[in-house]
Amino acid sequence: MQRYFHEELEQIRSKLIRMSEKAREVGQLALEGFVECDLKKAERALVMDDEIDALEVEIDRDAVRYITLRGPVSSDVRLILVAIKASHDIERVGDEAHSIAKRTSSILRREGKVFQPVAIAEMGEIAFSMLGDAITAFIEGDLELARSIVHRDSEVNRLNRENYKTLSSELDGDLDNELGEASTQIKIIFISKSIERIADHAKNLAEEVIYLQTGDYYNS
Amino acid sequence: MTTKNKPHLFSYDLSVKRKTEGVIKWLFRIATYIVILAAGYLFANIIYNGSKAVFNVRAPFINIDFLTQKPQTLHVYEPKLIYAELKKINAQQVALRSELKGLSLMDDIGVASIKSKLKTLEQKYEELDAERKEGRLLFSDTEYRKLDQTPFSEEYTYSNYAYSGGGIGPAIIGTCLLVFGSIAIALTLGILCAIYLSEYSRPGRVLRIIRLSVLNLSGVPSIVFGLFGFGMFVLFFGWGVSMIAGWFTLAIMALPVVITASEESMRAIPKGFREGSLALGASKWTSIRTNVIPYALPGILTSSIMGIARVAGETAPIMFTAAFALRDQLPWEGLNEWTDFFFQGVMALPYHIYVVSSKIPQNEYTRDMQYGAAFVFLFIVGFFALSSIVLRARVRKKYKW
Amino acid sequence: MVTKTNSSLKECTPIIEVSELDFAYGSTQALFNVSMDIYEKQVTAFIGPSGCGKSTFLRCFNRMNDLIEVAHTKGGNIKINGVDINKPDVDVIELRKHVGMVFQKSNPFPKSIYDNIAYGLRIQGIKKKEILDQVVEECLRSAALWDEVKDRLQESALGMSGGQQQRLCIARALAVKPRILLMDEPCSALDPVATAKVEELIHELKKNYTIVIVTHNMQQAARVSDRTAFFYLGKLIEYDATDTIFMNPNNEQTEAYVSGRFG
Repeated sequence: MQRYFHEELEQIRSKLIRMSEKAREVGQLALEGFVECDLKKAERALVMDDEIDALEVEIDRDAVRYITLRGPVSSDVRLILVAIKASHDIERVGDEAHSIAKRTSSILRREGKVFQPVAIAEMGEIAFSMLGDAITAFIEGDLELARSIVHRDSEVNRLNRENYKTLSSELDGDLDNELGEASTQIKIIFISKSIERIADHAKNLAEEVIYLQTGDYYNS
Repeated sequence: MTTKNKPHLFSYDLSVKRKTEGVIKWLFRIATYIVILAAGYLFANIIYNGSKAVFNVRAPFINIDFLTQKPQTLHVYEPKLIYAELKKINAQQVALRSELKGLSLMDDIGVASIKSKLKTLEQKYEELDAERKEGRLLFSDTEYRKLDQTPFSEEYTYSNYAYSGGGIGPAIIGTCLLVFGSIAIALTLGILCAIYLSEYSRPGRVLRIIRLSVLNLSGVPSIVFGLFGFGMFVLFFGWGVSMIAGWFTLAIMALPVVITASEESMRAIPKGFREGSLALGASKWTSIRTNVIPYALPGILTSSIMGIARVAGETAPIMFTAAFALRDQLPWEGLNEWTDFFFQGVMALPYHIYVVSSKIPQNEYTRDMQYGAAFVFLFIVGFFALSSIVLRARVRKKYKW
Repeated sequence: MVTKTNSSLKECTPIIEVSELDFAYGSTQALFNVSMDIYEKQVTAFIGPSGCGKSTFLRCFNRMNDLIEVAHTKGGNIKINGVDINKPDVDVIELRKHVGMVFQKSNPFPKSIYDNIAYGLRIQGIKKKEILDQVVEECLRSAALWDEVKDRLQESALGMSGGQQQRLCIARALAVKPRILLMDEPCSALDPVATAKVEELIHELKKNYTIVIVTHNMQQAARVSDRTAFFYLGKLIEYDATDTIFMNPNNEQTEAYVSGRFG
């Protein structure tokens, strides 16, 4: 039997989906800002993060309210738990996107363009496809898709390590470089790290989807 | 757990305690059997003896005359020869018996010879008696009057016995009238009273005292009710020995049963029915009328009717108030005004049984009368009880909760 | 954390106003100085341990306590629609038509389903079959029973399941068109599915009726009510929006009770 308050559960779910879509959008906007050297996109991404934070608070509040007033059990309580955890992950994605956008805009402000020496674009593509798939898996309850996401994380990690190696060796080699140049490279290292973090959160999301569907924790 | 060696944990432990338990069980059992036997004997005796008067060997198998006719004097003509012979044997028997008493206990041979003589006499007597029964002629009053000529006095000896002929028709009718009337009065008064006590009155000391006195009323001996009715209705109200005085006496006697039973039945109705209807905006009386009485009625009727039927069987209360030992007219005969109907005495079965059993000389002919009346009376009381049960079952089917 | 519902609740109009009510059974006082407003078209739940006076309080609203000889109001008043219901010129019969009640133990009359619902109208003298038919259908529909029983209206109400019986009692109460519906632990004898159905019904009914419900089941209060009042030892300890009572009560006793740390 469908109870009148199950609608509230549905609302929490759709808020979560909206939030994750938004986070993905912000992230992609920030990444595009970086890859396409588009200051406007980066700055737009900076503003959008606030909405995500607001949504997280809302989801948390709804979740707590649902737990106290509706006494959910089984898949309902898992959904609530996942909503709390996932909203946190998504909020982190938003934060990472925010920092990408901030660093991108600071680089662009100073230098007008970004030299793309490393596989940021490739990493970003994988990370955001992971995030997108995680959202799809959540919406559709697709276990297989969720499981496949978990494995893709290692590729992102590998790329991040490579990026780090390249950039840090460049930093080591070009000690005579201007200070600005070095700080840009450090920023790029951070951006790469942020993308790696986004992929991590996407992986977490995927694991949460698995938990939501099976009630079991995923161990790789 | 005992330390005795037992095959397993749950095997029998034949201790003293267990044995006493068995004994106690048998005690209960025997007591029950005694009660059943007593009741069985009572019913069997009445039915066996009574059916002789009530049933016929010829179609329609029921002695309709007995059930419809008025009590009459029985006129008996017995064959003179046999009668004389019987008298002779009787005299011989008496003589032998006194001789037997005179003999000392030591004289075994003498005792034995007299006893054997007595036995042969007895056999002879029985044979002759059967013959006498075959040959005798019985006439009730009406039949006697119709006779063109009496049987020859050379052949028959004549004797008559009061109350032994005819039937118990007026008594049956009288009893039924008394029962119906007292049911009507007792139910009306009792239910009204019970409604007030259980629904309206404030619980407290006064109510407790009223209840107690109502209960005590049922402990008052029936003869006291009879005297009360006599003093109150017959003398003080001046109703005379009449049906209506009997009704009220019986009704008052039955009231405790009716009130207690009605109150009980009404209190058994779930509080929820009353509350439910009150909460819908029903007045107190409406909710009692629609949601208490209909559901309590089966219980009220059953217990009350059984109680009244029992009371109606009492002889004492009607003895001074309503019952006539003999009344030629049926209650609807010879009325000057319709109100006279209530102010006439009637015959009643319990009183009739009493009269036949103790007010007239006993003989073989009154016996049939007594048992026949008892049998019919039992049947009537049983009928009332049964009908109350049937009534309850039917109403109960309609209202169940 | 201020919830949005909290502020929206304030806008409603009070239909029952209780001020400083003292109520006693003989010499035992059952309610101490209770003041509260109950708002129109909301569900208000009374919670509290057994014997805290919540049922007594509920029964004050339709003067069901009149049935108990020793019960009496010692002070304060209850106004429904602005009328003091304990005034001598108040006809308790009229009052009860406006303030319906559903009891703890479902108490359908041992009549047919149809007669049960028509009862309230029949005792008012309404005998016309068309009107009765119409009201019966209306009430059964609003109690979400119509589809289940429409083919057996003439059968005994006692053949229904416990949950159906309780919903029938609700439908029966609706037949006299009350504005307020009092429910005294309506689900305490029901299984979870039947309880859920009654709760759904309450949720539906609050669109048109003001509902006051006494419940032992805190989860139920949390699920169905807009406002919750916590009673303890005859006193109103806290009365607020249900969200507040269950998520962030102001009173320590309330907090202890709703979190199960009571006693």
